[in-house]
Amino acid sequence: MKLKLNKKDVENFLKGLIEEYDLYAPAQLTEGVSVFKKIDRPEEVNLTQPVTQKPAKEAFFPQSEVMFRYEETGNRGQAVSTEQIRKERILLGARPCDIEAISIIGKVFEAEDYTDVYFAEKRKRTTIIGLGCNHPLSTCFCSSTGGGPFNRAGSDLFFTDLGEAYFVELLTEKGMAFRENKFFKEADPKDLDLMKEIENKASQKVDRTIPVEGIEKRLDLMVESPFWDRIHEKCIGCGVCTFLCPTCHCFDMTDEAVNQKGQRVRNWDSCLFPIYSLETSGHNPRPTGRERTRQRLMHKFNYYPKNFGRVACVGCGRCILYCPVQFDIREALVYASAKRGKGQKGKFK
Amino acid sequence: MKNPYLPIPMILKKAQTETSDRLLRTLELSFKNKEDEKSFHFIPGQFCELSILGKGEAPFGIASSPIEKGSLKFTINKAGVVTTALHHIEEGSEIGIRGPLGNGYPIDLFAGKDLLVIGGGFAFTTLRSLIAYYLHPENRTKVKQITVIYGARMPGLLLYRDELLEWEKRNDIKLVTTVDWGDKDWKGRVGLVPNVLEEIAPSSENTCAVICGPPIMIKFTFPKLVALRFPNERIFTSLEKRMKCGIGKCGRCNIGHLYVCKDGPVFSYAQLEKLPKDY
Amino acid sequence: MIQQQLREKAKELLSNKTVDLIIGFGEWTLPLRTTPVFIRTPEGAESLVWNSFCENNLTAYLHKFSRLKIGLVVKGCDARSVVALNLEKRFPNHPPLLIGIPCQRLVDRKKVKKAVKGEILQAVEQGDLLLVKGEDVNVTLKREDFLYSVCQVCTHRTPHQAHILIGDPVEEVSPVEAHPDVVALEGMFPEERWNFFEKETSRCIRCYACREACPMCYCAECFVDSSRPRWIEKSFSPSDLAFYHIVRAYHQTGRCSGCGACERACPMDIRLTYLTQKLNQEVKDLYGFETGIQPEAAPPLSTFDPEDKQEFIK
Repeated sequence: MKLKLNKKDVENFLKGLIEEYDLYAPAQLTEGVSVFKKIDRPEEVNLTQPVTQKPAKEAFFPQSEVMFRYEETGNRGQAVSTEQIRKERILLGARPCDIEAISIIGKVFEAEDYTDVYFAEKRKRTTIIGLGCNHPLSTCFCSSTGGGPFNRAGSDLFFTDLGEAYFVELLTEKGMAFRENKFFKEADPKDLDLMKEIENKASQKVDRTIPVEGIEKRLDLMVESPFWDRIHEKCIGCGVCTFLCPTCHCFDMTDEAVNQKGQRVRNWDSCLFPIYSLETSGHNPRPTGRERTRQRLMHKFNYYPKNFGRVACVGCGRCILYCPVQFDIREALVYASAKRGKGQKGKFK
Repeated sequence: MKNPYLPIPMILKKAQTETSDRLLRTLELSFKNKEDEKSFHFIPGQFCELSILGKGEAPFGIASSPIEKGSLKFTINKAGVVTTALHHIEEGSEIGIRGPLGNGYPIDLFAGKDLLVIGGGFAFTTLRSLIAYYLHPENRTKVKQITVIYGARMPGLLLYRDELLEWEKRNDIKLVTTVDWGDKDWKGRVGLVPNVLEEIAPSSENTCAVICGPPIMIKFTFPKLVALRFPNERIFTSLEKRMKCGIGKCGRCNIGHLYVCKDGPVFSYAQLEKLPKDY
Repeated sequence: MIQQQLREKAKELLSNKTVDLIIGFGEWTLPLRTTPVFIRTPEGAESLVWNSFCENNLTAYLHKFSRLKIGLVVKGCDARSVVALNLEKRFPNHPPLLIGIPCQRLVDRKKVKKAVKGEILQAVEQGDLLLVKGEDVNVTLKREDFLYSVCQVCTHRTPHQAHILIGDPVEEVSPVEAHPDVVALEGMFPEERWNFFEKETSRCIRCYACREACPMCYCAECFVDSSRPRWIEKSFSPSDLAFYHIVRAYHQTGRCSGCGACERACPMDIRLTYLTQKLNQEVKDLYGFETGIQPEAAPPLSTFDPEDKQEFIK
């Protein structure tokens, strides 16, 4: 069944979603700065930014999340968990890279031994409406990490912007539940053709191949490589790349309590912060930027693949776009992959 | 779905200051709920996250052994916010725990072998659990000879001193305690752990070695084990790293692709050899 | 040409081992940007560039490379940061060798992006013009319309404190008298001012890029990271966000050179320099002090003088 959603119906479509679900979608905080947030009014939704600053992971793994609350601190406190969510959720307008990333985090958070109930509960109760990338940026390299601007994996419904309308595909059981949505109209064959044309054009745009294949094995041999001595030099140790990364999932847990009442909260954390690995004794197993940069790259391209069989990078390019000093992960991968003879140091800026 | 982040309630049955510097305190916790007790099964070397609402959580190796039913023991080194709170908490109070976490010592691999246990300072907690486990009549036949070398800077800094005295009297365990500096009452050895190891030189044939202690002790003891021809596959240690979740999610305790909280804290040197030196 | 002179000078300094390492700017993958480069060989000097996109304050790296003899490429503001750090005794062993370049004022990439539709793929400077190319666009912009606010008001473009000056000193007259955000802020009622501040800080993701990009933020333990005492919670209540930004700005009072690196580093486009610029202005009005202009003048907030103005005490 080929469906479409006319742009003039979008407002009412969103209104319907907001009434029935908790809707998460990209919204602009200020010109050029978008994040995924809970939507209260249809006009908040803004699907124009190809790469939002904060990724869609926030709909499942918010930057700051209360894990449980207690009415009394110290000795007799009873913890009341907060993992149950109120309503079914919709994640709308997430790009294929961000959706792929959610399954990457899922492999860790929904592992068989322990399940992160906060993430799992949200994921179970969320319907994902993916949005194809008509205009991938020059920093995008999703096609090198196993995806593509129109990769439908992980989406329950998938939208393609045709200009006057969105082409709508229902891909899963969750997606099929929207079959009867009154704003979805039957699409013409020419809509399908247009969708395919847009898809092809966009896919051709993500043309630069970044050497991701085989990177795990190459990095196996590079743990103590002088590569790390240089590559970290310009990194200033902020958390931009890790916080904005759709696959990064490290967090910190702290208690916040005032006048006996309190909560245990988890907040995103970053392996690039010195304090992340600093022990109470003062010992830091990753004492300098060298070890911390190595951790970031190795986790994505060696440790995670060892455990789960794919790289923990989806090629969204956020870490390139928003890094204050232009650390370019693509160039790091190229550099790590280059065959270098003795005395030939190669270049990395 | 079971929420692995929610602590279960325990009651502080008994607290005891262990060392003369008063920085180590042993807490004996009993289960508040019978069902929690029934479902709590652990092996020596595993740990728990101890939780004080309003202060936070920190990981501690279980110092009691699985044969000591009804309660769990933890020895707390006073260092940060949570440990300080654990030093101030009064008997009868409630403490949350999560666990048992981690892999524990490879008791299957130890079966039928000799055991060499080397401990230093306050890292003796899970070693105590391990030794007490094997000294129990039910388990004593599971390993053959047990040799223990336990060192501390001063006599007052040795943990579980009453128990050490009892062990010394037994003939099914060889216990050597040693201190860097003795005092007037100290009648035992004075000397560093690596030297004691060299001196008593247990056979490495069919022996597993477990070593836990301050990095400096490990640094100098490990080569002695190698010299005694212990293969890396049979030398084990329990690592400590900054941890939060304890279940392999929050990220910070990884060494290479392994997590100390989930795949450790016990590792063989053969395993560690293959990992980055991020510890 | 400045860039050529810079490369030659760098080559010379590395050849005769005056310095071990030169930290400067290089071309990299994104348009409207440069990247910090770390050069150890005379041949490497060829990758140094100089243009209106040299936006980082490289002084921040001096903390990271304290054991080397460093040649540092500085603009006027960057050099002032070095002077301020020197006063704080940050370079007891190897004071850096400053290779100063009078600054032509930097181009605000965020302003350019807002003015151009679609992704910018290439940007080239040509005198006072900026040639910007995208997939479907090709426009010529006037450079002076796209300067950073802090650069528009700068009157210390020439790094007089530098050991080596490449190019000639420039005239120190600013095209704009006051930072537009500061002017706007001063015109607001206190409540509006607070709302403005809170709206900006509400976007903060606590990545601390502003802190890490700032050469003056070098505390071994930042107050936000301290657990004993815990000054601030780790999550995102408006009061915690406000607290971080207020304290960060106040810690810079009398130390900030107004380079604007904090604001440029922010991935969430939070305006930050109106705060630091306002504080700089206050310090100038109250104490006649500007950071890093006089190499020996002690920062006013770390000294006491009976003549200090006190009318702000009410």
